[in-house]
Amino acid sequence: MNVKVLFFGATAALIGSRRLEFPIDGENSAASVFERVIAKYPELRRHKLLFSINQEYADLETIVREGDELAIFTAVSGG
Amino acid sequence: MLNMDFFELTNDPIDITSVARRTVPQECGATVTLDGYVRRFTNGRESRYLVYEAYEPMALKEMGKLTEQARRKFEIAAVGIVHRLGRLEIGETSVVISIAAPHRKAAFAACEWMIRELKQKVPIWKKEVFEDGEVWIEGSE
Repeated sequence: MNVKVLFFGATAALIGSRRLEFPIDGENSAASVFERVIAKYPELRRHKLLFSINQEYADLETIVREGDELAIFTAVSGG
Repeated sequence: MLNMDFFELTNDPIDITSVARRTVPQECGATVTLDGYVRRFTNGRESRYLVYEAYEPMALKEMGKLTEQARRKFEIAAVGIVHRLGRLEIGETSVVISIAAPHRKAAFAACEWMIRELKQKVPIWKKEVFEDGEVWIEGSE
């Protein structure tokens, strides 16, 4: 099974990609997936990060499912 | 009552008047419109231009959620929000928020509340491009 993880703005620039696929097996919380992404790209730790699941600000305890759309981004700066 | 709310993201210049005039329900008497535009100097540093990027479907959903919250907090009837994306020159409009209410006081209060919330919640980011570099701005909230 795979989940996709999207990146925007500063996180996309840092990772050099806007979208990655991450394999999951069994029951994975969103927190565990995000931790794996951050472990792979530790520079992310230097930013204040926000997380979403399926286009909603994330409850990190949520169990992710095949095809879910996760995203990691920095504090927003629109307006 | 007919729901006149609208939320949009666009790469084209925003026509402020048309946003404001789309937000005029007949039971209202005032629409307050914010024209947010690109400032030349930020903390004393001169920007050449800005680039805005959004997580588009989530940004539109968040605008809708904020509007539901605003309706519970203020006596307002309709909300229109249009945010520009892509490259913007100095002085160009980046965001327009129009809020209609039976009476102006609620519309002013709701418009101020809405821009503050938008800057904290709606997933849009700006990159400032200077003569000697560029930086994605990260919100402080």
